Amino acid sequence: MDNSRKTRRRIAASILGILLVVGLFVGRLVDIQVVRAEELNTESLGKRSITVTDYAARGSIVDTNGVVLAGSVDRYDITASPRVIESTFARKVVDGKKTTTIKVPFAQGVAELAEATGESEEDVRAALTADPTSNHAYIAKKKTLKVLLAVQALKIPWVYSEVVPSRTYPNGAVAANLVGFMGKDGAQTGLELTQDSCLSNTNGSSVYERGSDGVRIPGSTVTTKASKAGGTLKLTVDSDFNYYVQQVVGKRAKELGADWATAVVVRVEDAHLMAVVDYPTVDPNNLNAAKRGALGSLAFSTPYEPGSTMKPLTAASLIDAGKITQTTHVVTPGRLAVEGGGSIKDSFVHGTINYTTGGVITNSSNIGISLLSKKLGVDDRRDYLLKFGLDQKTAVGFNGESGGDVPETSRWDNITKYAISFGQGMTTTSAQVASAYQALGNDGVRLPLTLVEGCEMPDGTVTELPDTEGVRVVSESAAKQTVQMMENVVTQGWLSADLKIPGYRVAAKTGTAQIEEKGVYGDDYVISVAGMVPAENPEYVVVLTFGKPDTIKSSSAAAPTFTKIMTQLIKTFKVTPSTKPAPNIPQTW
Amino acid sequence: MSNLAYAAPQRPARPEAPQPRHIEVAPTRSQRRSRPKVFYALVTVGALFALFMAQLLLSIVLADGAYQISGLRVEQRDLSRQEQALGEELDLLKSPQNLAKTAESLGMVISSDTPMFLRLSDGKVLGSAGAAGDGSKLVGGKSFVPNALLSGLATAGSASAGAATAADTPDQEPDSGAPSIEKPASNVASTPGTLPSPVTR
Repeated sequence: MDNSRKTRRRIAASILGILLVVGLFVGRLVDIQVVRAEELNTESLGKRSITVTDYAARGSIVDTNGVVLAGSVDRYDITASPRVIESTFARKVVDGKKTTTIKVPFAQGVAELAEATGESEEDVRAALTADPTSNHAYIAKKKTLKVLLAVQALKIPWVYSEVVPSRTYPNGAVAANLVGFMGKDGAQTGLELTQDSCLSNTNGSSVYERGSDGVRIPGSTVTTKASKAGGTLKLTVDSDFNYYVQQVVGKRAKELGADWATAVVVRVEDAHLMAVVDYPTVDPNNLNAAKRGALGSLAFSTPYEPGSTMKPLTAASLIDAGKITQTTHVVTPGRLAVEGGGSIKDSFVHGTINYTTGGVITNSSNIGISLLSKKLGVDDRRDYLLKFGLDQKTAVGFNGESGGDVPETSRWDNITKYAISFGQGMTTTSAQVASAYQALGNDGVRLPLTLVEGCEMPDGTVTELPDTEGVRVVSESAAKQTVQMMENVVTQGWLSADLKIPGYRVAAKTGTAQIEEKGVYGDDYVISVAGMVPAENPEYVVVLTFGKPDTIKSSSAAAPTFTKIMTQLIKTFKVTPSTKPAPNIPQTW
Repeated sequence: MSNLAYAAPQRPARPEAPQPRHIEVAPTRSQRRSRPKVFYALVTVGALFALFMAQLLLSIVLADGAYQISGLRVEQRDLSRQEQALGEELDLLKSPQNLAKTAESLGMVISSDTPMFLRLSDGKVLGSAGAAGDGSKLVGGKSFVPNALLSGLATAGSASAGAATAADTPDQEPDSGAPSIEKPASNVASTPGTLPSPVTR
């Protein structure tokens, strides 16, 4: 009986105890959830979950050796919160062992900021006082780390910073015509634009929880969106060699007073571009100084009438069709009358000369090549030119590339029928000429012209691999015979002294093409030299062009620069010297 | 005849015990064994206590680690920013404009005009020796490949550059930041004579 009472008492006591504790908790709960709800809610707002951007860098563009042509860097915007600005701010000054807090006036803060960022004091003051209620004002934009550290060292409480991912071009104008540049809305031109799918990045975001003292609560980070870095775009060009060519071409173009100039260097065995140079060009780090027409690549975008550099193509086509040989006799008069009016003239006055095909090429006789071209029908001739890659864009597909124009045979009048054989009445780009010469050097097989080696994604996969299927343009024998005739241009031609390189056999063809303006051929020329080395087994092709030179209007002006480029090419790519002497093809009969 | 009527003397009724006697149930051995033991209770509570302590310690260490991580994160960010900035500077120094400028300020020339080649197979020297002519200076104060980023760089070349003449800078491309290189007083001969052929063994 007593026991049961005792038991009941114990049970009652413990129930009471439990109720007490529960009551305490309920009271606390009510206090937090109901009484102090407002205050706690406002305090916690913004202190709970923080969303943070996970930056991933845009892919870089590198040359064939990995030298960075375009890279991603961080820049910093210096911002301020005008709302919290007061007339003075506190700064701790350490004086030996003593640390005192002094009050720094606003004006001094402005002056210090101006000095650290390089902006003027008025600009800084204007930015801070423009809207005193705003929470965000820009003091300086896109500054380097040095500036950021200097600003942070000032320890001004109302100054903050933001990271701005930016682009840098450490080699300046080298290959800038190919790389292109970025603008406010993203890629503007060049490979930055056309290869944007390879290079572009996506910033991710993650959410984490933060304690009241700003420390991340462990285990609370959740990646809401994965970041994806851009892939590295590898080009075929060699940046050092490209720089050399850019410098010598620019120098010479300035000396000649040329409006424009291009140089294209191609490796014969795989049609990889070693250098593509334009003049004028742009420094992507200084876009304000750029000329309007200089933002792209003239070598790809601007067609012109090539002139005599097309003669080897005509000769190769005729040899391949079995119509002529290197020593076919051509009775070449000083003037060739054309049915229906007009005549064909050579660049030098002469009487009737008995040239061979070799002689026609060496002396660049328009009349000679016109007479030879009569042996092949116009449709066949045009087909060969198309197989050489003319009248269509190259495989590079560069931004703004042009395919030039070889008119339909139905539009060839009697003069055009002759003119096309020596490169007038049709237009090409420098890239197309380089590609055609690559075919001649590669035993008659034209490979797709290649600028991009590939795009290496962050996970290691390589995309954008180039196409390697070739087109048989002319037979191996026809190509070799044509190159031999071009070699005689260097050994026996009138520019022999300028074009020879000791120890190496160079094949070249010069061109001085007239420019048509408003239907009339005027007094301006496009001078070019196109060639390859070593002639017995070509490894590299160089095509050099100057548009509208003022001082010297013949291709002799381009020859010394051509040789400079050839020499640098030989040194850079270690071209094997030639052991056997050049063949001597009879020039006359 | 016995006295049957002898009545046994009646004992007085045993008085009730003044207090109830403490009665204990003596448990049997099996009952004793089945009683819950204090030891086990102590072990259980102790284990629970230990668990709570362990959890408390873990969360303390975690929180401490969180502070460490936060500090290290800031350090890592600062260091990687520094690395990037230094990498940028390095790329600028490696740029061909800077290299050409520095090389020419040291008096180096380029041999495009009169290249000479040494053929190792037979030790023959190809080409003709000649003094470095006009073509031996690649830049020579007129850079046609500008790089505006170099203007913020202090290089070895700028220290030795002579008077920067405005006439030197081409009007098309501003030779930004590269003070023109003073031309050497005399042309440097590329070779004194023919190159000595190597003695191959």
